[in-house]
Amino acid sequence: MQPNRRTVLKGAASAAALGTSGALGTFSELALAQANLRAQITQIPGVGKGAPTDADWQKVGELCLGPTKASIKEGEFKGVELSFMGLNNQNLHNLLFRGFLKPWEAYTGAKISWIDLAQADYNPRLQQAIATGTVDFDILEMGAPFEGDVCGKGLASEMPDWVKKQIDIDDYVDYLKPPVGTWNGKTYRVTIDGDCHNFNYRTDVFSDPALAKAWKDAGNASEWGVPKTWQQVQAVTKFLKGKKIKNQNAFGYLDAPKPWGGFGFYFLGSRASAYAKHPDDKAWLFDIDTMKPRINNPAWVRAIQDVIDALPFEPADQLNADPNTTGFQQFLAGIGSMIPWWGDIGQVAKASDTSVIGDIVGFDILPGSDDVYNSKTGQWDKLASGPNHAPNCAYLGWGVYVMARVNGDEKKHKAAWSAAAHLGGKDLSLWMVMYPSGFQAHRASHFQYDEWVAAGYDKKYITSYLNSQLASYNHPNRAVEPRIPGIFQYYSIAEDELTKIFAGKVDAQTGANNIAAAWEKLTDQIGRERQIGLYKASLGV
Amino acid sequence: MQNSVPVSDDLHHQPATKRAPRSRKAAGRALVLLASLGFLLVVFIQVLHTTGTISAGFSDWRPILIAYLVWAVAFGVGQVLTRGERGQRALFLLPAVFFTVAVVIFPTIFGIYIASLDWNLSSIEGPRFSGFDNLKGMLNDTYYWNALGNMVFYTVAVLGEYAIAFGLALLLSAEIRARKFFRVVFLLPMMLSPVAVSWMIGKSLLEYRFGPAATLARYLGWDNPAFFASPWMARLSIQAMDAWVSIPFIMIILLAGLQAMPKEVQEAAKVDGANGWQSFWHVTFPIMLPVSITVLIIRIIFKLKLADIVINVTAGGPGGATDTVSSFIYRVYRDRSNVGYGTALAMVYLLLIIVLLTLMLRLSKRWTQKVE
Repeated sequence: MQPNRRTVLKGAASAAALGTSGALGTFSELALAQANLRAQITQIPGVGKGAPTDADWQKVGELCLGPTKASIKEGEFKGVELSFMGLNNQNLHNLLFRGFLKPWEAYTGAKISWIDLAQADYNPRLQQAIATGTVDFDILEMGAPFEGDVCGKGLASEMPDWVKKQIDIDDYVDYLKPPVGTWNGKTYRVTIDGDCHNFNYRTDVFSDPALAKAWKDAGNASEWGVPKTWQQVQAVTKFLKGKKIKNQNAFGYLDAPKPWGGFGFYFLGSRASAYAKHPDDKAWLFDIDTMKPRINNPAWVRAIQDVIDALPFEPADQLNADPNTTGFQQFLAGIGSMIPWWGDIGQVAKASDTSVIGDIVGFDILPGSDDVYNSKTGQWDKLASGPNHAPNCAYLGWGVYVMARVNGDEKKHKAAWSAAAHLGGKDLSLWMVMYPSGFQAHRASHFQYDEWVAAGYDKKYITSYLNSQLASYNHPNRAVEPRIPGIFQYYSIAEDELTKIFAGKVDAQTGANNIAAAWEKLTDQIGRERQIGLYKASLGV
Repeated sequence: MQNSVPVSDDLHHQPATKRAPRSRKAAGRALVLLASLGFLLVVFIQVLHTTGTISAGFSDWRPILIAYLVWAVAFGVGQVLTRGERGQRALFLLPAVFFTVAVVIFPTIFGIYIASLDWNLSSIEGPRFSGFDNLKGMLNDTYYWNALGNMVFYTVAVLGEYAIAFGLALLLSAEIRARKFFRVVFLLPMMLSPVAVSWMIGKSLLEYRFGPAATLARYLGWDNPAFFASPWMARLSIQAMDAWVSIPFIMIILLAGLQAMPKEVQEAAKVDGANGWQSFWHVTFPIMLPVSITVLIIRIIFKLKLADIVINVTAGGPGGATDTVSSFIYRVYRDRSNVGYGTALAMVYLLLIIVLLTLMLRLSKRWTQKVE
C-alpha cells in the first residue's frame, strides 16, 4: 500500500507514543536524533533566505554523514579514486553532488573526479560509452529509461544489502519500486529523484477579476478558473492573447517546440497522455504485442494539432523555446500562465533567487480530457467518471548507479557504493527535494508536509505542490515511461519531425506518420522481439 | 674581369647513384612482398571476423594499425635494399607518406567500412553489414536534402561576405584617420569562438524579449521581432552571425593583398584618367583575383562545415530552415546514436566537397588565365 500523509503521520504518532512510554528507549532516541537532523538540515539556508550555495551543500553533506560513519572507518578508502558522470543542468546535479560528497571524501579518504554533461549531451555520451566498451566512470547518474541499455548489458554493479539498509530502500514511493531500479530481479539503483510532470499555473491570473469579467463578456459559460482539461487549456490560451496582467502581456500555455536532446518529447507526451492513455490499456506509445507505434493515431495527432493551434497565441518566438526556456526563462520570469514541468518549478519558484513568481504559483496533476481514444476499438470514449486524467510519469527520475567495472576491486566497490548511498541517503534526500536541485520528491517520508512548513514553505503552497506529485504517482491511469533501449532515439527522431510540423512544413497527420515510419525502422534496427519483451516488462504486463 | 675558378659545392654535390647488387634487390622485393601479404592477410582475417564469417580475429582494429606500422618499416627497409642510395633518399619522404596514410587514407577506408554498417549504439547485436543500405536511406532522407539545400544558400552567401570584406579592406588600406585602431576593431569578431558568438548574438542581442536588437526593431515598428521564428528570417540571422565572425578573416587576407599591390599600377591608371570605380574594376580587382579566389575557397571550405552556431541557436529549426549538413550529421550521431548512417552521410558529404572544390579550382584557374 502506498503510504500517504495519514499513514505516515499515524506511524510517527505510534513511534512517539512508544518513545514516551519508554518501551523503545533507544529507538525513540534514534528517531528523535533523526528528526532533529532533518529539522536542522532543512534550515540550511531556509526557504526564502536566498538560493543555497556550495557552502550549504557541504554543510548538509557533513551533517548527513552519520550512516557512512556507522559503516565505514575514517580513512578506509584512502588511495581510492572514483570517477563520477552526471549532469550539470542549471548548475545543479553534479555541482550539488560535489558539495555533498566533499565531507564524505574528507572522512573516507577517497577522491572523486567529475564528468559533467549538459542534458542534451547526456544520451549520446552514455550510448557511446556503452557501445564502444569505454565506460570510463565508476559511478553514474542515470535515469531509469536507460536501465535497458546499461543494466541489460551487464554494465552495472548489483546493490549490496548493506546499501539497501543504509538508504532505507523501502521508503521509495510505490511507482519507483521494482521493476524500476531493477533488472532481472537484481537491484541496481539508488533513487534520488521522482520525476513526473505536474501542472504549474499562475494563481494571480486565474483569480484576476478583470480577466474573469472579460472571460464572461467573451461569452464563455464556464467560470474563469484554473483549467482542468486540455480543451480548457486551449480555450484559455486563445482567450489570453492580447490581454494584460499587471500591465504585462498575458499568455496562456507555453509549449516547448524546440528539440532538447529527446527530453523535449515529454512535453508533447504530457499534452497527449490524457487523449492517448485509456484506463483499460496500459500502453500508450506502442502496441504491446507488436511495438507498432501509436504516435500517428488520432490521440497523438490531436495533441500535436493542439500545439499547432496554440502556437499563434503564445509568445512570438515560442518556436525557439525548449523546456528550459519555458520553465526557467519564461514561467519563472513571469511570462505565461501554464506549463507542465517536473518538480523543479515548485522548488525553484520558492527557494531560488531566479524566480519572481514564488507566491503566485499553484500546482495540480496534468489536465485531463473530456474524451479518450481507445486504441482497441478505434473510438473516442467518454468516461462515466468524467474527464480522463493520465499523469505523465516522465523519465522515472534520476538515480545513482555503480558500474560493474569496480566489482573486481573490493575496496573500490565498497567506496563507490558508499558514495552512492551517501547521496541517496534518506535525510539528505529530503534536503534535495526541498531546495533547487533538479530532483523531486520520491520517498514516502518526503510527504511529511510539516517538515516543509518548518523549513519555510507556505502550507497552502506546499500542500498544492506535494499533492500534485503524490496524486500523479498514485494515479491508477498514470502513463508509465517505457524502459527500453534506445528510448531517447525514438524521442529525438520525433523531435526532429515535430519541428517540421510546428513550423508548418507538414501537417500533423503526415508528420506523425513520418515519425511512426522512422520508429518502426528504429525498432527493427535495435531488435523488435527484444524491444517487445522489454516494453511489456516496463509496463508490468 | 675575374677568372672563373671552379668551386667545390659539397652541399649541392650529387654523388653518382650506386646501384644495389642483384641479391640485395631480390631480398628487398621479397621483404616488401612478404610484409604486404602479411598486412593484407591480417586485414582479410579481421574483415571476415567482423562480418561474422570466421571466429578467429581480433576484438578491435588496433592490430591492423600495428600491422600497418610493421609493413611501413619493412617497406622502408625494402626500398633501401632494392634501390640502394636512391632508396635511402626516398626514406626521407616515407614518414610523411606513412603519416598521411595513417591519418588520412586509413581513416577514410575505415570510414567507408563503417558507412556500410547498420550500427545503432542501442542495438544489442552491435554493428551489422548492410552494404549500400545507408546510401539508399540517404537518397530518401528529406532532412539530408533539406540541409543540402540550405548549404547552397549558405555557400552562395559567401559572395556577400566577400563583397563586404573587400569594401572594408579597401577602406582600411586607404589613408583614413585611426586606421590601425579600426583594423584591430574589425578583427575582433574573428577572435571569438562561434559558440561564444551564438550566445552573445543569437541568445542575447537577437533575443526576442529583452535583446537590444529586438527592442530597437520594436521601436522602429516591427511588432514581433522574432529573428528565429520564420524560416527565411532565421536563415538570414544565422548567416549574419556567421558572416560577422568570418568577414574579418576574408578582410585581413584581402588587405594583405592590397598592401602588396604595386602602387605604380594604380598611379598609372590615375594618370590615364581612370576614375575610382574604373581604377578598382579594371586594375585593383583583376590584380586581386588570385588572392580573392584563394580566400573564397578557404572560406567556402569553412562555410561547408558550419554547425556550431546552428546547433546552439536554432538546433536546425524552425522546421529545418537553418539546418546544415554538418548539424544534421551531428544529430544523427548524437541524438539518434546511428553511427553507420552518420558516417555514410559524412563520407558522401566529404566526396561532394572534394568534387566541388576541384571544380572550383579548375574554373578559377581558367578565369584567372582569361583575366591575365
